[in-house]
Amino acid sequence: MWRDASRWAAESYALFVKEWRTEWRTRHALSTVALFAFTTLVVTSFTLGPAGTGSAMRPVLPIILWVILLFASTAGLPRSFVHEEETGTAAALRLSAGPFAVFAGKFFYNLTLLLALEVMIVPLFLVLLQVPVADPMRLMLAMLTGGWGLAAASTLIAAMVGQTQNRGPLFAVLAFPLLLPLVIFAVRLTWSAIEPSTAPLAVDPGLMALRLLLLYDGSVTVAGLMLFPVIWNP
Amino acid sequence: MHDDDHLRFTDLIRTFGRLRVLDGVSGTVSAGELLLVTGANGSGKSTLLRCLAGLLNPQSGEIVCRIDGEEVDIETRRRTVGWIAPDLAFYGVLSAIENLNFFAKLRGVDPARGSALLKRMGLPPGRAAAALSSGMRQRLRWAFALLHRPPILLLDEPLQNLDAPGRAVVLELLGEALDYGALAVVANPDPLEMPHVARRLTLGG
Repeated sequence: MWRDASRWAAESYALFVKEWRTEWRTRHALSTVALFAFTTLVVTSFTLGPAGTGSAMRPVLPIILWVILLFASTAGLPRSFVHEEETGTAAALRLSAGPFAVFAGKFFYNLTLLLALEVMIVPLFLVLLQVPVADPMRLMLAMLTGGWGLAAASTLIAAMVGQTQNRGPLFAVLAFPLLLPLVIFAVRLTWSAIEPSTAPLAVDPGLMALRLLLLYDGSVTVAGLMLFPVIWNP
Repeated sequence: MHDDDHLRFTDLIRTFGRLRVLDGVSGTVSAGELLLVTGANGSGKSTLLRCLAGLLNPQSGEIVCRIDGEEVDIETRRRTVGWIAPDLAFYGVLSAIENLNFFAKLRGVDPARGSALLKRMGLPPGRAAAALSSGMRQRLRWAFALLHRPPILLLDEPLQNLDAPGRAVVLELLGEALDYGALAVVANPDPLEMPHVARRLTLGG
């Protein structure tokens, strides 16, 4: 069993390194994701100004942040499997790696890409819109758990889209129901980092959102690992 | 390898929509043997090889594969075969050796094997896969197929685009693979002048 686990980990790691190496040389996903996120952020900050200082606009800010992250990721992440199919490398990958390792390698690549995006975007967002963060730990948890769920769901959807002919609209159709709950929970948790609740811990809406996010992340990751072999192999 | 290792396929049927590409195709090949599959374009040679590799499921029929004396499932068969096909591509931004090292890591093979194969094939290891000529790409496909010393070789038009020295090298490597007990299924539109052919199967006729 340990031998299987170590082989699985080695395959996933090799795929993860390959993904970053090819991405670093082409910068397809990085440039798409970063360009979309920066443009949206700059337009938002020019339009709204220091929205974080006034209480009227403040509840909208976590929504704006997650809409930026969601759309930036959907602009870049779905390419991973489509590119393998379109360039003809998918057959070599199918014959060389187990499906679990392929899912894990692609997932960790998507996750690190998203976390890198968050590291670039979130501090800028906070500074440009002058958003006060009362609980930085919660904000970090929101970014981590939200990023995990977004990466896992995107990897799974991208794998499904890669197997179809009509790829463009399908990602949006599949992503909407799968990502909607994630974004709602992530917005609630982010809001609780900006405006902490005075409610007791047992009914704290932020903690409730964190629990739901963790549940979502676990469910989507396990579902991805279970479904992926069926989607990936004939 | 065991003497009773073999790949046997019986009554394979595969359709694409209303088009029946494979219509009850059967055959068998044993360890150390080469089965040459010929037939006109569209007769189902590539489809047969994709079914044998586990890249495509036949709608009916049976594929039995024995390796090291044991019958293996489709997942093991898929991970075991050495595969060459005209549409098999590599990561264009990675060099030939980076591509082989990547697949060596996935297969748990010593990367030195990839370097040795590239040297034997006469391929420049540092050149990006996208910058290789069609003949060099075919040599890289051979290196990919032989990387893990596979017990099963499924070779779709394996001599395509190769010059005379290239053909000589790959046929020598194929002979060595058959000598160590691998079995091979080779698909080509025309009957190839190939040594080692033990069995023949003609499709679409």
